[in-house]
Amino acid sequence: MNSAGLTASGLGLTRNESGRRFPHAEDVAALEELRAEVVETLGGPGWDREWHVYDLDALARVEIDRLVERGLMTPVFAERPGVGRGFAVYGEGEASLEINGADHLRLLGFRGGSQLPALWSLLSRLDDHLEAMFSYAFDPRWGYLSARPRQAGSGMRAYATLHLPAMALTGRLAGTALELAGKGLALVPLWTGAGGMVQVSNLGSQGKSENEIIQQISSICHGIVEKERSIRKMLLRENPLQTRDQIGRALGVGQHAWTVSFPEAVNLVSAVQVGVDLGLVEAPGMAAESAFGLMSRLQPAHIVVDYMDGKIGCLQSPEIDECRAQLLRGIFAGAGALV
Amino acid sequence: MFAEESPDWNLDLTGSAICEMCGDEPATVHLLRVVDGTVSHTHLCPGCAESVAEETDGLALVLAVPSVLRDLSKGQVHLDDETEPTAPSDQDALFCAVCGTTLSDLKESGLVGCARCYQIFAEYLESALAGESEPVEHPGKIPQRGPETDNLRHEIMRLQRMLRELVACERFEEAAGVRDRLTELGERLEEEPE
Ligand SMILES: [Zn+2]
Ligand SMILES: [Zn+2]
Repeated sequence: MNSAGLTASGLGLTRNESGRRFPHAEDVAALEELRAEVVETLGGPGWDREWHVYDLDALARVEIDRLVERGLMTPVFAERPGVGRGFAVYGEGEASLEINGADHLRLLGFRGGSQLPALWSLLSRLDDHLEAMFSYAFDPRWGYLSARPRQAGSGMRAYATLHLPAMALTGRLAGTALELAGKGLALVPLWTGAGGMVQVSNLGSQGKSENEIIQQISSICHGIVEKERSIRKMLLRENPLQTRDQIGRALGVGQHAWTVSFPEAVNLVSAVQVGVDLGLVEAPGMAAESAFGLMSRLQPAHIVVDYMDGKIGCLQSPEIDECRAQLLRGIFAGAGALV
Repeated sequence: MFAEESPDWNLDLTGSAICEMCGDEPATVHLLRVVDGTVSHTHLCPGCAESVAEETDGLALVLAVPSVLRDLSKGQVHLDDETEPTAPSDQDALFCAVCGTTLSDLKESGLVGCARCYQIFAEYLESALAGESEPVEHPGKIPQRGPETDNLRHEIMRLQRMLRELVACERFEEAAGVRDRLTELGERLEEEPE
């Protein structure tokens, strides 16, 4: 199945242990015990890579935010206070594990590009290993059980991140979202929709195998990306002046601004990327990485940890926008219009 | 990163939410509208959602997700027809002895408390999740080391489906073979200690 065109891929796999109640209905001692057993298993033999187990109470806000920004932790887990929670990262971030969130275990994987099948094969292997130690709550009718009945089934959610600025600009996302809603898929804004970034995911996992879910999302997203490409070409054909103007302005701001918020930075990078795709501009500083990779490292916690020694505690500090602008000036240096 | 999710996506197990615009139809679409970076949430029926989507100008984003349990209207009619006229209070008094979850807890929070809940509230979950479609066996990955009985039940459900298909296309001889195998597995299941 062709899944080309995904900006980024994410996967979540929900599992519960059969001997205990789901986290929201279980008592502290039992949850703490489960976490200890899981952590012990993660430190045990047989894994290809090492697990790094985090002490959530000892993590600073900015470190938690950076894990969320990398797609290693879900926003809802980061915000949920709660007892018995644990968290671990596999290898260099190839996968991660949330312990005692909404469910006992949730394996996660997130990476740039069209990688859903690769993520599934990795998470499934990690799942096999965990299953050797824990007896999962499973029912032949419902599949893997979850605290949220809607999530029972394969327990898998696949997330495809798409870059759709032309569809956003021309108001075509609404219709697409409604169409997807009819198929049990959600289309939601990523980063409040800056730069036309959206994420498509399956809401339920009943009645479909993991491969069917991945294939459905891949083929639907492939169609959406094709549509985005043709709308971009149409915009250039029918409104060449406005199209070139918007892209040129983005480049100008990126090259000369001294303070840039994160959503604005995403809009700039998005517009310049469209210019590069349409052959209107060249941006040598962007050649080395994907637009998504660039956007990702411009996120607040990334800037603070990677470029400011992690010293700023407040993620709203104006210094972050200043640092971001400086990075953008460097990236867009040498970029210009191809006439 | 994974996109933020609206906390109330998991609500509405009963399908009682009514469209916020016309106040008439069941709200099956959760609409997120992003204008100037601010996100607003509305629960709408598909008709109203479509008109909102059309009215919104190019610079605003209108995004929709299905209100969580698909076929809410169907599930609701189903429940109204079958449970309410008979004994709604009996139904609501259902509770799980393992975790203490009651049917009204489940309806309110959309959460079950333990594996046993899936058996206690099977009828409700069946109607809320599957609508009128027939229960089928879970088609994906299954635990390799699960209890023997799980694998046995899985195989039985697979064979039952095969049997129905064979009978439907009048391949009776093969169907008889499958039926014998089913009887045999059924006996083995009886012998398994729970
Ligand atoms: Zn309505
Ligand atoms: Zn229960």
